Amino acid sequence: MAPRLLLMVLLWTCFVVRPSVYSSFAQTPDEQAPPPVIIESPPPTPPVDEPLPPEFIKPEQEDIVVLLGQLRENVRSAPRSADDRLKLAEGLYRIGDLDATIDECRIAIGLKPDHARAHLQLGRALMAKQDWRSSLTELKEATHLNPALAQAHYNLGTVYYTTGNLKAAIESYRQALALQPSFPDARYRLALVLKLGHRDQESAQFMEEAALSGVPQAQYFLGNAYRTGQGVEKSGAAAVYWWTKAVEFGHQPAATSLSHLRRQALSATQPEKKQREALEAFHAYREKLWDDFPELTRTDDSETLGTTLLKHNRADHAVPVLLQESYALSDVAQTELARLYEFGWEPHLAPFDKNLLTCFETTAGEGFVPAKKILARIYGKGIGTTPDMQKAKAQLKGLPKPDIKNVLDELSVQP
Amino acid sequence: MLDSVKTWRVFLQSAWLQASAIGLLATLLSLNLGAIAPATFAAIDWTAYDSWLRHRAPIPVNASLILVSRDQASETEFGAGQWDRAVLARFITVAHESGAVAIGLNHRIAQPSQAQLGGAASDALLLEATKAAGQVVYPFELESSLASDHTVFGHLLVHPNQDHVVRAVPLSAELGAQTVPAFGLKLFELARPQARSTITDAAPLVNYAGDGSLETLPAISFASLWDALESHQDQRLNAWFKDKVVVFLPDPMPAGTWSLPTGQVVTGSVIHLHLLNTLLTDNRVRRLGMMNSNLVTFLLAGLLSWFLLHARESQALAFAGALVMAYGGLLMVSLILAHLVLPLALPLSAAALVFVGTILWRYLTAGQRMELLERDMLRVQQEAGAIREALILRENRAEALQEDLDQARAAVAQSTGRQEHLSRTAETLRTELVDIHVQEEAARQKLDDLGRELAGLRAVAGSSSKLGDAELEQLRDECRRLGIVTRNHHLLGLFRDLKKGARSQLPALLLGEAGTGKELCARAIHQLSPRSGKPFIAVNMAAISPELFESELFGHVRGSFTGATMDRRGYFELAHHGTLFLDEIGDLRLEHQGKLLRVLQEKTFYRVGATTPTTVDVRIVAATNRDLQRGVSESWFREDLYFRLKGLVFRLPPLGNRQDDIKLLAEHCLADQARQLGRETPKLTQEALDALMQHEWKGNVRELRQCLEQAVALAERPLLTKDDLRLQAAAPVAQSDRLRAPKILPEPAGDAAVLACLRLNNFDMQATAKVIGWDRSTVTQRLKGLCFQALVETGGDKAHAAATLAGDPSLTRTVELKLMDYYEHLLATIQTFATVEEALLDCKRRFKNLPDRHFQSVETLVRQQFSAHPSPMKSHQA
Repeated sequence: MAPRLLLMVLLWTCFVVRPSVYSSFAQTPDEQAPPPVIIESPPPTPPVDEPLPPEFIKPEQEDIVVLLGQLRENVRSAPRSADDRLKLAEGLYRIGDLDATIDECRIAIGLKPDHARAHLQLGRALMAKQDWRSSLTELKEATHLNPALAQAHYNLGTVYYTTGNLKAAIESYRQALALQPSFPDARYRLALVLKLGHRDQESAQFMEEAALSGVPQAQYFLGNAYRTGQGVEKSGAAAVYWWTKAVEFGHQPAATSLSHLRRQALSATQPEKKQREALEAFHAYREKLWDDFPELTRTDDSETLGTTLLKHNRADHAVPVLLQESYALSDVAQTELARLYEFGWEPHLAPFDKNLLTCFETTAGEGFVPAKKILARIYGKGIGTTPDMQKAKAQLKGLPKPDIKNVLDELSVQP
Repeated sequence: MLDSVKTWRVFLQSAWLQASAIGLLATLLSLNLGAIAPATFAAIDWTAYDSWLRHRAPIPVNASLILVSRDQASETEFGAGQWDRAVLARFITVAHESGAVAIGLNHRIAQPSQAQLGGAASDALLLEATKAAGQVVYPFELESSLASDHTVFGHLLVHPNQDHVVRAVPLSAELGAQTVPAFGLKLFELARPQARSTITDAAPLVNYAGDGSLETLPAISFASLWDALESHQDQRLNAWFKDKVVVFLPDPMPAGTWSLPTGQVVTGSVIHLHLLNTLLTDNRVRRLGMMNSNLVTFLLAGLLSWFLLHARESQALAFAGALVMAYGGLLMVSLILAHLVLPLALPLSAAALVFVGTILWRYLTAGQRMELLERDMLRVQQEAGAIREALILRENRAEALQEDLDQARAAVAQSTGRQEHLSRTAETLRTELVDIHVQEEAARQKLDDLGRELAGLRAVAGSSSKLGDAELEQLRDECRRLGIVTRNHHLLGLFRDLKKGARSQLPALLLGEAGTGKELCARAIHQLSPRSGKPFIAVNMAAISPELFESELFGHVRGSFTGATMDRRGYFELAHHGTLFLDEIGDLRLEHQGKLLRVLQEKTFYRVGATTPTTVDVRIVAATNRDLQRGVSESWFREDLYFRLKGLVFRLPPLGNRQDDIKLLAEHCLADQARQLGRETPKLTQEALDALMQHEWKGNVRELRQCLEQAVALAERPLLTKDDLRLQAAAPVAQSDRLRAPKILPEPAGDAAVLACLRLNNFDMQATAKVIGWDRSTVTQRLKGLCFQALVETGGDKAHAAATLAGDPSLTRTVELKLMDYYEHLLATIQTFATVEEALLDCKRRFKNLPDRHFQSVETLVRQQFSAHPSPMKSHQA
């Protein structure tokens, strides 16, 4: 949401402070690239965006409503200003009124036929309406009027792909990247179409760049590539790494893939080779985590990066790393997290943190025995929850009898 | 030309050849019919198969096939239209990881995903899932960005029959520049790579499970799969997919376009899924190829045709019906037990064509077959004649050798000095004799065979030409109308031939004793001929005075001779366009025979005294009671005239041979006479009738009539007794003609009896000897004697002598051969002697069994020979 807020603020600023910034840009296309904030975070297909949580929508919508009122006022005062029309069109596009957007864009183009951004905006609105032919015409017109319009090339790539012209799509994305090298989404899209063109190596390269720039989809695909060795050297650790990165952005397929890999490592029904491979991947990943903290050295094999950071009071990283290690099936990290869950780490972490409980529940559900024991203890003792022996016993189901006995003994001595 | 006639003859005689030809023709015609009405033919052809599919017990569905299909819950979960390919990718991955052996995805991948369905990201995920799964079978697309080494395409084409019903699927199709396997087949290949080689049919029949719809195949819904996937129910997933062929059907199912034999209308993909099930269960249905179908049709048609040609009509129909039913039964049995579909429409139409064709063929060729049969009879008769001649020669040779042997034996007894030489000769002769006996035996055997064959042919011909009761009745009526009173089969048969012959223009020759009704027959010929409306002129050749012969027959012009005061038309002119009946032609003088012959040949003549010829159109019917053939051999009748007259020959039987007619004739005559006298028709007592039957009617019907007329005229009572008939005592038994020997025959009864027996047995020595109870050589000796006697009596005329002995002209040649041989052997024997006495001495010894009366003939012949050639040709020593 941050980029959108930024864009909104910028638009507002433009409107209030420098109302002619786009028109001047449109008039002098060769002068310079558009402001990076816009290019870095364009909404590729706004109508299909994930629905926003209601608490976020409300203030933004209210802002947009106010903004739209102002924009309409501007248009009313200067009805023959193509720029004002365009701004109004962009505002309308933001709230999803595609027909009104198209009308305003057409009026703007009528007022100023060589207005490249107006053509671009019209093309995007038509894309949203799935009118691929018209949008292709408009976007081509935009690139023709202003060949440096990276956004137009980017959208053109999408239209080309959708109409089945893979080659042209690749070319358009390349064009966009040439014009704006710091355009991670274009990089991701280019990587995708290269992949579909069976150019795995090249695709993996662009995908990695996009992943490094923080595109979660790219991270997910890169993880997939490392897992299967498509275009890169096969590496379970790298796959876990990139999927974990994507999960940090809330990317669900990546979370599913990770969960699947953990189940593979923990399930007794899986072939031994697959199980070993998965376990090794998680182990290697945990080892790889040390690379981010070159200043730290391991003193004991039983120590993990998380416990070491904890030891060094690195409050900023200790808990997240412990969580990562726990998700990567580290029993040491989980034990440490269990302690943190029960007692907290004042002032950095309050006891009974939900994220930690989620971690235990997730990994226990996937069959991680230490997590099951921890969870049995939490439920049995009612740590941060209401005590529930049934739930505790359910967690212990299927474990070796001595283990069950130990846990139950501990729970029974509890006052 | 000769070859084609021969081939045609062979063809007509062989039922198999005809059946094959008709069968082939019917098959070809049926194929043409099939080309004209392909939809109808296809519908009929598959009737049995379709009804079998509809009514049989449901066949099992292969346990290793599972479909994943859309349902309401799935659409609630994933939407109503096309689904995000990322979801499909997950399904493929889970199927692969759960151990599916082959995965098919009935989803079109020609177009990239729309942005709202995940766009390129979803496409990439599907591509990754396909790669991870190894190989996934998709419906064929000419171009697709998702195509890779792991994307396998299968076509969804079907192979509808001419009646627009889909029963088969082509295993591969040429699409663009590629050969694309069938969707179902490709999945089967992935699942059972080693079993592919067992499928050889290019378009195998689909053995539809149930009614052929999608619902009959085992399926789970996407929604339940998604539930299991989300809740990590690995065991459930394994149960669904482990070692299974999984086919995902994620796209909304369009309306069906293809009709199935079960009546369902489905899409091509459903048919391919049933093909997959057919291949997996190895429950295939096979059908005969084009060539084999045609062969079966040909065999059936040929067999049917053979039945129809070979059997009698009623049986043929039953056989044909049974054969067609049997084929129907075979068709059903092969379908049920062997899953083999036999053709139906083609054989049925061929059978119908054969049925019609064979009946037509029988009808058209009946006449030709009868003709062939008659020719065969003739041929066999000729062969029998030839063999008989050969047999006679061998017999004679055997006899001669026997004589030589006897001679040699005698010589051995006489001269010891020549013993050695003679014994050698005897040995040689004995060997030759044995050989000749063997040959004779073989010839006899052959003759017997031919006799049997002839009897068989006679039976066949006889059966076809035997007179039916109805026909007999009709013939009798016709005879009665023409004045011929008879119920004798032989005479009725003769009348039937006469009726047929009357229509032709050939001259007719009527032979028979006096009073046998020759003129009646001549009139009948005229009446039955197309000339019936024209004049019928009867001329008695014996009654015409020799001087007036030409004038009577050809007419004269005025002044041509004394008394010719005006033009007169002769009998020939009077009979113009009609029939001229020349009675007693055997009594025609030799000089008149030439004149008559000329007219018959030229059809023109000169009236006496005329200078211009007269042309007439006359049909000649001649009659005689004399033996014209004998007349020819005795030179009192011209041979050329004989052959000119002998166009149609009818031998009228004497009354003695028509005992059954005597009563009828008598009644007829009595009725006739009574009518003339105006009296009541008198009746005959049984005694009188018996007397009539036993009497020898030398004058035949004429004599009978005269006898009855006299009886009626003189009788006073209406009942005629034997005494009223006033029959003169005659020879008590009417002997057969053959036994009534001519004057020339030897008088003693012994010879007459032997000759009669020889004639009865066609001069077969063996048979005669058996009948008489003599040794064969004795019979031969006796015949030799008769021959020599006949030769002496006829003054050396061999033909005449032979004819006299033979009695029947058909035996003349046989007797002549024997006679000549005996005579030549006699001459050869006496040639070696210098004097008559020596020769006679030798003959005495040689013919020691010959009665004296015959030896006198031998002596006469020897003396004649010596007097003709006084000096011997060779010396005794040489």
